[in-house]
Amino acid sequence: MKKRVLAMVLGLTMLVSIFAVGCTKDEAKADFKAGFVYIGPTNDNGWTTAHDVARLELEKQLGIETAYVELVAEDEAAVKDAVTNLIDVGCNIIFTTSFGYMEPTVALAAEYPDLYFLHCSGYMMSENLGTYFGRIYEPRFLSGIVAGMKTTSNEIGYVAAMNIPEVVRGINAFTLGVKMVNPDATVNVRWTNTWIDPAKAKEAAEALLAEGCDVITQHQDSPGPLIAAEEKGAFAIGYDYPLTDVAPGSYMTAPVFNWSVYYVDIVKQIMDGKFVSASYWEGLNSGVVALAPMTDLVPAEAKTLVNEYEAKIKDGSFFVFEGEIKDNTGAVKVPAGTKMTDGEMLSMDWFVEGVKSN
Amino acid sequence: MFRIAKRGETNNRQALMFRLLGIFGALLVTSVIVMFMDHNPFDVLFSMVKGAFASKIRIENTIVKAVPLAITAIGISIAFRMKFWNIGGEGQIMMGAAAATYVALNYSSLPRIILLPLMFVTAFIFGGIWAVVPALFKVRFGTNETLFTLMMNYIALKLVGYFQYTAWKDPNGMGFPVIAKFEQSGYLPEVFGIHIGWIIAILIAVFIYLLVHHTKRGYEINVVGGSENTARYAGMKVGKIVVLSMLLSGGICGIAGFVQVSGVSHTLNVNTSGGVGFTAIIIAWLSKLNEGTIILVSILFAGMVQGGNYIQTAFQIPASVAQILQGIILLFVLGSEFFVQYKVFYNKKEVKKA
Amino acid sequence: MKELNLTKVEHLHNNADVINFENINKTFGSVVANKDISINLKKGEILALLGENGSGKSTLMNLLSGIYQPDSGFIYINGQLVTIKCPEDAIKFGIGMIHQHFKLVDVMSAKENILIGRKEKKNVEKNINELMDKYGLIVPIDKYVRQMTVSEKQTLEIIKVLYGGASILILDEPTAVLTPQEIEKLFAILKKMKEKGQSIIIITHKLNEVMEISDRVTVLRKGEHIKTVVTSETNPIELTELMVGASIDLNIARPVYENKKRILKCEHLTVIDKENVKKLNDVSFDLYGGEILGIAGISNSGQKELCEALAGLQAVNEGKVLYENVDLIGKKPREIFDMGVSMSFIPEDRLGMGLVADMGMVNNMILKDYYTQKGLFLNRKETRKKAKKVVEQLKIVTPSVDCPVKKLSGGNIQKVLLGRELDASPHVLITAYPVRGLDIGSSMTIFDKMNEQKMNGVGVIFIGEDLDMLIGISDRIMVLCNGKITGIVDSDIVTKDQLGLLMTGKVEMYV
Ligand SMILES: Nc1ncnc2c1ncn2[C@@H]1O[C@H](COP(=O)(O)OP(=O)(O)OP(=O)(O)O)[C@@H](O)[C@H]1O
Ligand SMILES: [Mg+2]
Repeated sequence: MKKRVLAMVLGLTMLVSIFAVGCTKDEAKADFKAGFVYIGPTNDNGWTTAHDVARLELEKQLGIETAYVELVAEDEAAVKDAVTNLIDVGCNIIFTTSFGYMEPTVALAAEYPDLYFLHCSGYMMSENLGTYFGRIYEPRFLSGIVAGMKTTSNEIGYVAAMNIPEVVRGINAFTLGVKMVNPDATVNVRWTNTWIDPAKAKEAAEALLAEGCDVITQHQDSPGPLIAAEEKGAFAIGYDYPLTDVAPGSYMTAPVFNWSVYYVDIVKQIMDGKFVSASYWEGLNSGVVALAPMTDLVPAEAKTLVNEYEAKIKDGSFFVFEGEIKDNTGAVKVPAGTKMTDGEMLSMDWFVEGVKSN
Repeated sequence: MFRIAKRGETNNRQALMFRLLGIFGALLVTSVIVMFMDHNPFDVLFSMVKGAFASKIRIENTIVKAVPLAITAIGISIAFRMKFWNIGGEGQIMMGAAAATYVALNYSSLPRIILLPLMFVTAFIFGGIWAVVPALFKVRFGTNETLFTLMMNYIALKLVGYFQYTAWKDPNGMGFPVIAKFEQSGYLPEVFGIHIGWIIAILIAVFIYLLVHHTKRGYEINVVGGSENTARYAGMKVGKIVVLSMLLSGGICGIAGFVQVSGVSHTLNVNTSGGVGFTAIIIAWLSKLNEGTIILVSILFAGMVQGGNYIQTAFQIPASVAQILQGIILLFVLGSEFFVQYKVFYNKKEVKKA
Repeated sequence: MKELNLTKVEHLHNNADVINFENINKTFGSVVANKDISINLKKGEILALLGENGSGKSTLMNLLSGIYQPDSGFIYINGQLVTIKCPEDAIKFGIGMIHQHFKLVDVMSAKENILIGRKEKKNVEKNINELMDKYGLIVPIDKYVRQMTVSEKQTLEIIKVLYGGASILILDEPTAVLTPQEIEKLFAILKKMKEKGQSIIIITHKLNEVMEISDRVTVLRKGEHIKTVVTSETNPIELTELMVGASIDLNIARPVYENKKRILKCEHLTVIDKENVKKLNDVSFDLYGGEILGIAGISNSGQKELCEALAGLQAVNEGKVLYENVDLIGKKPREIFDMGVSMSFIPEDRLGMGLVADMGMVNNMILKDYYTQKGLFLNRKETRKKAKKVVEQLKIVTPSVDCPVKKLSGGNIQKVLLGRELDASPHVLITAYPVRGLDIGSSMTIFDKMNEQKMNGVGVIFIGEDLDMLIGISDRIMVLCNGKITGIVDSDIVTKDQLGLLMTGKVEMYV
């Protein structure tokens, strides 16, 4: 009995070694290699997927090698670990793609002055560390138009992550869109305190639906809220990445990122030796953000209005955060005729009229 | 039908054979999985080792990971010696880390030479308190320490969550729920490019080794673990010994928390303990509570995690698969230990009617 | 399972043998426990297994009950070659082993214990009752195990294995923890079982029991089979010689110490337990330096409480214990020990109190005086020397003084415990059941040691069960019954019968 087991094991090992010889990979060498640090899994159908799709596009367009590490916690030890591993496999351009990676990225950029670091959504820069983000508030505003025209209960749900300016800005832009077409509607915000936790996100959406919301949108990296809406027969607007198949009965559209626009651009700069540390923040015009194609669930007049405003934003004749804007206590925050500056927008910590946040 | 029975005796040759078979089996199964992913298993497994130990940076990373594991496992081993099943390492780490963070944030103006020892001591005390509470309840009311220490983990985690999201949230964090980073004075210094947590770990190991094997207190711990009745018969105050030893056990786990925040993260968050408290239980058990072995096994464990991260990056294997590979290796290691201690056999239809 | 019993006669190795060991070898590391042993058990006989401590008796039986497997050699049951991989296998082959440490569940009733792991529900009580009638076993089947006496527990164990269909019964030192009356009862049961065709192996160190109960005797020495003799053709002297390899004097000496002085005075000791039972009831006596005071009584008559009260381990409700005019009551165990009162209580569960099973001899020997060392550190040098001395004096069989004591044979474990107490050079030595499970030679050594202490002026309290031994070694004997003293008598004039009456409380006598 024992002998037979041994023979089997030996046989299997031999088999393994035969296979092994057959599949050695030849390694291509390139001068530049881009490494990506992700907070979620590459298949989160949201934030991380959007980055990863862009990474593959970057490989295709520039023919350079890339690598990634997924599921990296927003913790110094974890980020350091991931980045040093990336450096170890030859990456010299590092993209860290979550706000919480900011401090560790700053530290690492100082530790490796010869490498290029690019941090998504933060505000700290140095010689070899640039930041990048998209003016997602523009498509958010457009999606607000859709929601405002679709709702019948006039209660709209918003599943939000952290109470930070980036998220607040999105909520406000969305609400301005809603209010423009439907002054009676309210945007109800629920916080999950996490970027990516599909179960928690879904729970929050369910609670909003139970409170009477009939349109749900989200600032979450996973499509949990879409699924909740689908289950309850409500309507939903996604985020980050266009997803028609997850919730075909609910999904209407989504403000999305096309990160490849930036990735290709910046890597080219680096390869050409033209890198300057900068803060990249572009909108609909550049193509780095967009409103995903609207499905048939979007009312026809909303589609027309969205297209109209998209054009206006692009040609500069409309600006989302232009006065007069009141906050949700009724105080005037932006007087009529003035536009908010980038600095003001980047530190936004108040909600516009119509937002109900607990 | 399969049946399991504890071995009446252990046989060294047999034990060695099971361990080798375990390693072999782990390699075999992981190889097959890797092959299914269209990678060369030798490359991947070799890279796993390489990724853990083959360059300065990797060795550093591995050691940084091994330090909290080793310290916590040693802390837990004291409890295990008394047959006090402390599975609250996770919470004790968290409380130690939280206490150290409090000191680092509020007394950052102190010079490093004073600040760090202060953090060390508070971390020890708070980690210790987290273990003493279940110990007191066990001694006084006979509560089950396994459940109690486990519950204490959740309380600690919720507390740290509260600190991070509310009480200690950095006002300069633009609303982002993080606790501020320490000033430089709260950073552990480095020796050979690695924060001195590794020296602390070695010192603790030596200290506990001496305590357990060469002091009267240590002797009492061993007697209580061997037989409480005998300890009482010898006139020992069992309750007091349990409580004090748990203070030490939890305190050392708390120090692991201090090392983590002061040496690595430089701040506190809900990920600080990161499962170390649980992994350390496995390490303590595999090491048979032997301090030297604990350090060795911790390094191997950390190497496995580090190597797992590395192959993930090098071969772009999904994180989930890397974790499955680690899980399989662990399963085989634990499995072979199981077979060293138990026998399993298959019963054919017994004694045919010949 | 039942079909495995005695039905397949045509295949028997030898028609009359139920068990055959053939060239059995078993080693533990460097220790040879069984060496080339070939013995047999005949159907319907009682075979006694005799041998010094550590001679391999328990090991041989554990091979049969599936706890260990032989390194080499064969075991035949009813003529068929078998491998017994685990205790369940043994049960299947009809082997029931009664270990010295019972394996019953305290919080269950007798009936529940019998039914552990069994499925049948119908007629359970009827079946159990029939079984008890058949063999004359008596246990109240709804009584909880924790409320049972040792003897009841043992009977329950026997019922349990018989109910499981055992036709071969193995008893490892069943009499070591029983009183003489209980032993009588047990033997009656065994004889009845033999009549009904059961085969029995019994391990015991008491030669009178061997002579009384067995048909044949197999003697082991240092792991080897020396000889198997028919009981009716042998005598205790021959058996001892076979066992030890030399003749030894079986007479217990009783030297006289001239200058006796009172060393301990107990006054009106009363101990009441949680269930409000008086475990000690107004116990008063004196102990003199230079005497051995025997304490007799059926089990659970207050012996344990008395020992523990004297050693400071038991709360006392009333009374005094004056030791050189200082009351010991209320003092901590360590204070009492420091004053020179040493106690060794050999519990029914040998490893339960007084020893740490996982520790070696050195660590066990240092247990009681480690705290007297100065400083933080523990120095084991002296103790190591002591341990080696004890190994020599008491002939302890162990690979080394650091070998965990749980790996020693039952008798050797006990010698470790005794060695430590005797070595503490006490003024008062309290020792309960010291020779439980010791072989003859070792028992004699222990008695010699006790006499040595006595002749040094030590006051020795000796709690025992065997009346011959009590009369043999004690100067005076105090009898306890239900926690009360029913007599304190001079052992020169008292008879066994008189003691028996005192123990049951039927008469009282003071001399
Ligand atoms: N599990 C074990 N590991 C190591 N040695 C063992 C083990 N069990 C028994 N031994 C050794 O084997 C020898 C025989 O032991 P065994 O228990 O069979 O003796 P015994 O004849 O039953 O003695 P006693 O009369 O004292 O009970 C002893 O030297 C003992 O130390
Ligand atoms: Mg024995």
